[in-house]
Order: sequence, then C-alpha cells, then structure tokens
Amino acid sequence: MLIAALALWAGQAIAQPSQPPYSADGLYNLANTYARAGKPGLAVLNYERAAVLAPDDPDIKANLAYVRASAHVLVKPRNRFVRLGEATNPTTAAWLGLLGVALVGIGLVVRRIAPRLLWIPGGGFLLGVVLIALTASNAMLLWPRMHEAIVLIDQTPARVSPVPMADTAFLLREAESVTMTAEHEDFMLIRNGSGLSGWVSRANLGAVVPPVGGER
Amino acid sequence: MRWSKIFIASLCLLAPVEYAMAQTLDELAFETIEPSRIKLGESAILRVTSFGRIKDVALPTIPGLIFETMGRSQGFDFINGSTLPATFFLIRITPQFAGMFSIPGLAPNSRSIGLEVVKGDEPNPYTWRSQQPAPAPVVTASLPKGVQLQAGGAAFVHLAIPARPVYVGESVPVQIEVGLRAGIVTSVNGLPTLKGSDFTFNNLSKQPERREETIEGGAFVLLTWHSALAAVKPGEFALSAQAPLTVKMSTLSAADRAVASRLAFPLLQSMYSGIAPREMTIESSPFQLKVLPLPTEGQPDNFSGAVGEFRVSSDVSPANVAAGEPLTLRLHISGAGNFDRVDSTMFDHLDHWKTYPAKSTFTPSDAVGNEGEKVFEQPLIAAQPGERSIPGLEFSYFNPNTRQYERAQTPAIKVIVAASLASGVSLDGAVVTGATRGLRPDHRIPQNQVSELRPLYFRVPFLIIPTTLALLLAGSWFAVRPRAARATSKAAERVLAKLDAAARTGDSSSFFEVARQALLHNFAIRWQMPVDQITVAELKARLGTSGEAVERLFAIADEAKYSDYHSGRTDFQHWLSLIRGQLAGDRE
Repeated sequence: MLIAALALWAGQAIAQPSQPPYSADGLYNLANTYARAGKPGLAVLNYERAAVLAPDDPDIKANLAYVRASAHVLVKPRNRFVRLGEATNPTTAAWLGLLGVALVGIGLVVRRIAPRLLWIPGGGFLLGVVLIALTASNAMLLWPRMHEAIVLIDQTPARVSPVPMADTAFLLREAESVTMTAEHEDFMLIRNGSGLSGWVSRANLGAVVPPVGGER
Repeated sequence: MRWSKIFIASLCLLAPVEYAMAQTLDELAFETIEPSRIKLGESAILRVTSFGRIKDVALPTIPGLIFETMGRSQGFDFINGSTLPATFFLIRITPQFAGMFSIPGLAPNSRSIGLEVVKGDEPNPYTWRSQQPAPAPVVTASLPKGVQLQAGGAAFVHLAIPARPVYVGESVPVQIEVGLRAGIVTSVNGLPTLKGSDFTFNNLSKQPERREETIEGGAFVLLTWHSALAAVKPGEFALSAQAPLTVKMSTLSAADRAVASRLAFPLLQSMYSGIAPREMTIESSPFQLKVLPLPTEGQPDNFSGAVGEFRVSSDVSPANVAAGEPLTLRLHISGAGNFDRVDSTMFDHLDHWKTYPAKSTFTPSDAVGNEGEKVFEQPLIAAQPGERSIPGLEFSYFNPNTRQYERAQTPAIKVIVAASLASGVSLDGAVVTGATRGLRPDHRIPQNQVSELRPLYFRVPFLIIPTTLALLLAGSWFAVRPRAARATSKAAERVLAKLDAAARTGDSSSFFEVARQALLHNFAIRWQMPVDQITVAELKARLGTSGEAVERLFAIADEAKYSDYHSGRTDFQHWLSLIRGQLAGDRE
C-alpha cells in the first residue's frame, strides 16, 4: 500500500506542472526573438534551455552556433561520445531507463520461476541493462549542465570576493558559458572556459536549468 | 434803474446760452491713452476727462484687452487757456495678445481711440527707457504710381505685385501697403484682404512693417503686409486689396462746416464741427495679372508641380549601421517657390532599401513662406550587410526665370552596413562558417510542454517510480522460490514415455538403462549430491526396503547391458511401477 501510494503521488507530481510550462519550440522561438533584438546573452540562454529539452533539434544547434559565433563566443567542441550521449532526449532516456529497470527485474523473476528458460529472461535482462546504461550515461553527461550559466551582460566583472565593491579579477563576455560552483548571497562563484574563477552577480547570469521555484 | 433793467435783460438773454453751455459741458468729455503703443505684457492707462456731471463710466468688453478701474478724481483741466473743473477716470488696459485695438468712447460723445500692442521682442519707439535706437526720421515721399487717396484723403491701400506674367502654380510674392493719415485714421479694424478668384493665398505676415512718411504734406503711417499667391489656372485676372479702417470724418455739409468755423468759442466749434469716427473699407485699384500655363514640352516624368528656383542636397546619419537598424536620409531643398508642391516622390526609387513614409519640415526664411528650406527625412533599413550605396535623388521643377524645366540631383551616398545577429554574418563583417546563413525560422506553436527543465531522472517524484518498481520486482523475486520437482516433472514424464516405448518393443537393454539413468538423476537432485557418489549403501540408507528393489533394477540394467537378458511383459510392468513410484515420490 505504501509503495502504491508513493507511485501515485510521483505520477501526479510529474503530470501536474507547478510552474508555467517550458517547451523546446517556445524557448527556441524566444531565443530567436532575443537574437533578432541583438541580445545574444538571452538568446544563447534560451537556445541552451531549448537544447536541454530537444538536444537533437538541428535548428537549435544551428542558431546557437550562429549566435555564439556572431557574439565571438567560442566553445570547446564536444567529442563524439558526448555528442552521442547528448543526442538522446532526456525525457526519453528517463522512460527508457524505467523500462530497463522493469526488464531487468522481470528477467530475474522469470529466471527464478523458470530456470530452464534461459534465452527469454536473459534477453530481457540484457536489454534492460543496456537501457539503464544509456540513461545513466545521459544523466552523467547532462549533470554538468545543471550547473551551467550564461552571461547576460557584456563586460560582466568577475570579482575576487562576493561583494559589489570588490576588485575585478576578469571580465566576461555576453553569451559566454560558465560553470557555477558555489553561491553566496547575491553572488555566484563561477569558472569560465579558461579555468578562471570569480564571483559574479546573480543578476548578470542566467542558469541554463533554473532551480525549482527560481527565476526563469 | 435803467442799468438794472439792462442787467436783468442781459441775464435773461444769456440764460439759454448758459443752459446750452451747461448741457454742452455735461456731454463734453474726451479720452486719452498713454502710451498708445505698448509691448505685450505691459499696460496702458486710459484717462477719461469729463467736464460734466458723469458719475461713472462703463468698462467696455473687447476681446484681448482687460480693463481695470484705477480710480476717480476731481480737478481742473486747461482748454484753450481756460480753466475748467473736470472729473478724471483712470483705467488700466492690459492686452492679452498683440494687435491693433480700437477702444470705443467710454463717455457720451467721446471718440474711439486706438491701441497698438506689439510683441515683447519688437522695439517700442514710444517707451521712455527704450534701449532701441531712435526711430528713423520721417521722410517725404509721394504716393505710389496709380494710387489714389481715399476716405477723404485719410488713407490709401496699395497692392504691389511683380508686373511680369506668372505661371500656374508659381508662388508670387505680393505686398499690401496701407497708408494712414496720422490723427485722422484712428484704427485699422483688421488685416487687409486680397480680393480675387482663381488664386490661392498664403497667410499674411503676422506683423506689418511700420514706417512714417510725409505724403502730400501730411504725416502718414505706412503699414506693409507681405504674402504670396499662386494662380490655379492660366488666364488674365484682376486682383485688388482691401483694408477696414476707422476714420474721423465730418458729417456736416460744407455750409454747416463754414458756420461752425465762424463760432468764436472753441467748445462751440467742437460741438458743431460734426466730426465723428466712421468705419469704412478702402480698396486698391485692381491689378491685372497675366497667368501663363506651364509648358508641356520637356516636362519630366517626375515633375510634381514645383515652380521656383531650388537647390538640393542630402546627407545620411549615421553613416555606419548594423543590418536591420534604421538610418535617416535627409534631403534638403532650399530656394524660393511653391514649397507646398515639393513632395517626397523622389524617394520612390530607393531599391534594395526598406523604407518607411518620409516626413518633412519646412523652415521659411521670409515672412510669407515663399523662401526657405524644406527637409525630408526618410528612414532607411538595409537588409544586407556590406558597403551599400544610396542612389542619388533627382528633383525636377520649373524655373520661371529661365522658363524651362530643370533637374536638381544629389550625389550617391555610401553607407557601411555591418552585420547584425539576423544577417548571417558576424558583427565584424566576417562570414560565419557552418550552418550560419542567418537565423533559422521560428517553429510552430509548441505542443509538448514540461513544468521544469530538469530532466526526469533528476526529479525525486520520477525517481520514486523506478525505485518502487525495483522494490516490487525484488519482492516478487523473493516470493517465487524455485521448486526442483516442478523443474523435473516434465523430464520425468519424458523418461516414463521412453520406458513405455521400450517395454512395448521388448528392448530390455534400453529399458533398464534409461530407468537407471533417470533414477540416478532423480536421486541426485533430491539428495543434492553428484550421481557418481550414489552407492548401494547410500540407496539402502535413504530408501530402506525399497532400496533393495532399486538395487535389483540397477543389477538387471548391468546384466542387460553386458549380456542378453530377456524379460517378460509382466516384468516390465513391475519395474515401470517401481520407477513411476520413485519419480512420483520426488514430485511430492
């Protein structure tokens, strides 16, 4: 009963959106609007968000690359394995992982019931393991993006300490991607592509995956 | 007695005269205004002097003037050397806008007076502390040719137009000059008007030029207005100007005026002079204006009707823009002519540029708008980056001086258009490689929506589902334990089927060998031990008395394998019953 209640609650929590809905197409169109308005930071942020939902969309990839190139923001090319892993839709990967768990479990039970029927539960078990591995790799590749942010304001100062009057360590370009490693009040400790770290005001950053209940 | 009679008789004779004089004094009053020309924002003082028993004066209502009573006082005034008791009423007049005002007489039989109000930036020659230079000395002049004095010689109006023929649509400057004899013409009751059909008129200049001249021995104030007209069709037309005035004129005949002039007492002269203000309109002599049609030969296609003499120039700002951003192209057309016919059709040929409706502003350099500069501002947007050229603009007009059509052209202007985000080229002009031929178009209205961007496998509610599923499956795995009998039941049935077949054919060798192998496997599973470790002693120990029968079956199997053992049908059934019993015992 407890398990059934938990499953029911989880299903309802997933089905009922608690925030205004996101969609890959909506974010893509919004990013296009920002790009046309000459705001590459907001454009890249929304392209990145759209890419989280639809990583295999060629339009998103093309426009993201174009806006970054126009803003003179360079990104390191990802290797083939990463591109392959990221090409899977996270939502699809999540449900495939769930199917994998089911296949592995059912295979074990069937093997337990009928030890001599090796090929049927064995095939399901193997397929389940592959699906779980696919989901796990997808999650591992997406995990860094949970802490990725886009610089929204050109010449954003990265300061040596999280106070407004602190010295500027270096400047960030608009539309540049950074990794958030810590936070303190209104400042985020970031690390850019060159490995430099500094404190940046939250207002100048946009998280690719916004926190639950946070700013969109 | 005689002298007394004469004195009384004289009094009786003079009584009517005194009565008449008293009545005259009751009605005698005059008004003065100081100063008569003021600036807007200043005030003038109107003084009403009454020699009668007037208690109060009623303030008039004149649009643009505010009247305030300052006070009333008694005193004496000197008239022709005589001292007369008088009552003075002081009224402050404050104007609200510039112009020439005529104030009617406030006391009975008093005359109207004029007040001229000028704007604050104009010189006031009557101001005591004026810093402006003194007014020019009055010059002696004669009447313009063909002009006659009107209103009893008190005023004239003159319309000055170029004598040459004009063209249809040509803006022709005109000048209306009104001469007013000082002291006779009390006010100008409005702006002069042009009288003539088939013309369009510009507005008159707001303030007339003012000068003073002596014409035919009299002091005249000359007011000059400027305007411009344009003929709407060819032909020969009459044109004249009119001006409304108030003039002091005598209402008596010549004989009456001669009688009045013989009266010795000035007051009596004043009473019988018959001079009163009179409103009238004077008109200039008609002017014959010949209007020529515009020639059709050589008329450019882009001719919009502009007639005059013009110059054109253009500029653009900013000179460097990004693609998609607007810049402003300004076309300056200056000169003299009918600027109302100068339109923006020259912008119709700006290919490769996105345009919006142009707006224009006209800045006149004269009072009537015949000369000046018209500036067109045309917003332009370049769709493609790079070095772009705004083509030269051509403006065609008819020059009445040269009597031919002329074209004025501006040079082409080069503009550097940088790339924008939507142009497919980076901001520094370098072509971006890859799939970067500009932004790809928007997608359709989204259908699939999620509540948050975090993938499902990072959300706790979703993770509960596979966890629950895993728990359920794990519980199932533990719940369904494997059973050996279930696993071997089908194999036992197959063995029994083989034994039946061997018994039917009488193949004792196969029968006993299959039976032995089946029982050994069965015992190995039941006892969880290898087949080769099942010995005779083990059989006896585990099976008891039935072990002897099984031992006997194994011995027969050896015998049948290595010798020619023959068994009857009865023996097969016995042994089958034994084997079935052992295998069934395993399933229980």
